Amino acid sequence: MNAGESILAAGIDVGSSAVKFALAQAAADGTENVLALHNERIRRRDLRKVIREGYEVSLEAAGVRQNDIAYTASTGEGELVDFRRGHFYGMTTHARGAVFLLPGTGAVIDIGALHARAMRVDERSRVMSYRMTSQCASGSGQFLENVARYLGIMLEDVGPLSCEAKNPESVSSICAVLAETDVINMVSRGISRSDILKGIHLSMAGRYTKLLRAIDACGDVAITGGLAADIGLFRALEEKIAEEKLAMRVRTHPDSIYAGAIGAALWGAYRHRILARRTEVVA
Amino acid sequence: MSVEILLGIDLGSTTTKAIALDRTGRIIGRGITNTRSNYEVASQIVREEALVQSRFELVRHAMAADPELARIEKMFIGSLVRNFRQQQHIEQLACLESVLHRCADVPRYASNREAVKEILDHIFQAMRSRVPGHFSELAVRKSDFFRDLAAADYMQCAEQFSNPKLASFDVLCGLFDAAILEVENAAGDGAFERHAGPALEQTLMSVAADVRAHETRLRSAVESVRSLEFRVMGMVGTGYGRQRLPFPKEQIRSEILCHGLGAHAMFAGTRTVLDIGGQDTKAIQVDGTGIVTSFQMNDRCAAGCGRYLGYIADEMNLGLHELGKLALESTCSVKINSTCTVFAGAELRDRLSLGQKRPDILAGLHRAIMLRAMSLLARSGGISDEFTFTGGVARNPAAVSALRSLVEQNYGARKLNISPESIYTGALGAALFAQRSADERNVA
Repeated sequence: MNAGESILAAGIDVGSSAVKFALAQAAADGTENVLALHNERIRRRDLRKVIREGYEVSLEAAGVRQNDIAYTASTGEGELVDFRRGHFYGMTTHARGAVFLLPGTGAVIDIGALHARAMRVDERSRVMSYRMTSQCASGSGQFLENVARYLGIMLEDVGPLSCEAKNPESVSSICAVLAETDVINMVSRGISRSDILKGIHLSMAGRYTKLLRAIDACGDVAITGGLAADIGLFRALEEKIAEEKLAMRVRTHPDSIYAGAIGAALWGAYRHRILARRTEVVA
Repeated sequence: MSVEILLGIDLGSTTTKAIALDRTGRIIGRGITNTRSNYEVASQIVREEALVQSRFELVRHAMAADPELARIEKMFIGSLVRNFRQQQHIEQLACLESVLHRCADVPRYASNREAVKEILDHIFQAMRSRVPGHFSELAVRKSDFFRDLAAADYMQCAEQFSNPKLASFDVLCGLFDAAILEVENAAGDGAFERHAGPALEQTLMSVAADVRAHETRLRSAVESVRSLEFRVMGMVGTGYGRQRLPFPKEQIRSEILCHGLGAHAMFAGTRTVLDIGGQDTKAIQVDGTGIVTSFQMNDRCAAGCGRYLGYIADEMNLGLHELGKLALESTCSVKINSTCTVFAGAELRDRLSLGQKRPDILAGLHRAIMLRAMSLLARSGGISDEFTFTGGVARNPAAVSALRSLVEQNYGARKLNISPESIYTGALGAALFAQRSADERNVA
């Protein structure tokens, strides 16, 4: 192939509760486009099957065939993507995806089901420094999901409900699994679901601002990862940042949850172009 | 006619238990529910359940007292209870179906409502056809709780009937999560009244001719308890949710006291009690009368509590019953690196997808929870003879085997007591406290 052609690449971001897919096109002049995005929740199904099927759905959505894809890259827990050509570390893909979606981003906070990672990035989306949550899932996305299930709330409703809160109930940062019991008690004390969710969002936001402070983040902070679409968490972060008077502005994008997959696809296209150039030189 | 009873209710985080004693202190009924949304509802359900069981127990007493019927008592009651449970299950299934349809009536599904409802119809048709299989004589149920049985069936059928374009598996799961709570919380008042009749007819139809020969007397045995009234002479609540009960203060005891007394009532030689409940683990030292002398408790972290195993079971789509049995098949236990429950769940998924064997991983998880318990026991003052293990986790054979080997290694030979009813230890202690207060009132 010619290194000057436009390249189609796929990115597959395997998380612990969902797999995200992105198909991207990188033209020779440097313009980049996302052709298709797809999110498939795992729900305890066979992961290999979920990956395979989700990949096919995204190919269909973009109207391309598998043979058209020059490079398929995995990120996250990507060992099971057996048809990939390469793998990128989660931090680099989230940084790349965030800068692509929200140009001008100075820091990224990737909030997933188990971990949260804050990283400071430069304009070329290189990771300059980072900080992660520790080995305990207190206040993680998985915890929020458990609580939502317990309250009988669909995940899409969590954010809007949280925004309706009038007196957020403060939640101590205890064990993610046992906090469920705290929630039971709150329900039986008659606290509204909105106030419970907002309380949890605020406690999570407190953890994330701590991470952001630790890496000296300032300016535009992009939220990525599975919780990027949670408007309740977004508002809570805004409130915490205002309360702590930090020089930051949180931003999100409708496609922020796909940042990892998009980043993987873009880095994949980049790597493919370099490899192709090298082969040409050798030939 | 009326019967005097005493009630003990243990409001745990995963399950709520009740024990009904007759005036002589004999256990006549037990109730358990996994409803977790509201302690008031849970204690109502569990109380109702204990009274239903008490009625069955009284039918049993009536039959055992009749020389003609004593012979067939066991099989007759067994069949009656199974038919009763089946009736209850069918009723709850119908309730679930109607709630699901209501959940689908929101604007979000305006465009595909018909398709969602049609798929729900298919799912429920398939679920109903599975019901008799769950309640046949030889059936091995994953769990006795409606939620678990229904969820397993629903997920399987939903995967089969879902359609990515019209009603995806994810949408169907979301609907189920929203609907199941309401179904669980519908406290089944008068369940015995409603279902005992049909269950009796069904049983009489299915039993052998020599049993049916006693039809008139069997009918009257069931009828006599059907109209029986229970007079609750005392009730004590304990457990994590006790403060939330609409009980006066004097009717509440701490779970430590109740577990100590309950374990003593089950095994009089008890000196050390380990209770691994849903959301806390207690190591208790008691004296010769069942009074607590010291204790240690972990209720801050799920690692080391029953919820740890519950979380793992959910993660693997297994019933809590099945977890231990599977772990016992292990030939080479793995060492689990994560402490946190949620992370252990993720580690489990990773290990599974890397091809490690389920029993080996599970054996490692069981050992991990027991190591946490051992450190709690050591802090409470060690393990004295006899050692009684209670709580839901004591029903798990792999947990018991891990504990046995750790105790042997660290303390030498100890007599380990485990009652098959150990999950009711706290409720039994509470009922005994209720009996004490009732006796004191009588004396006064």
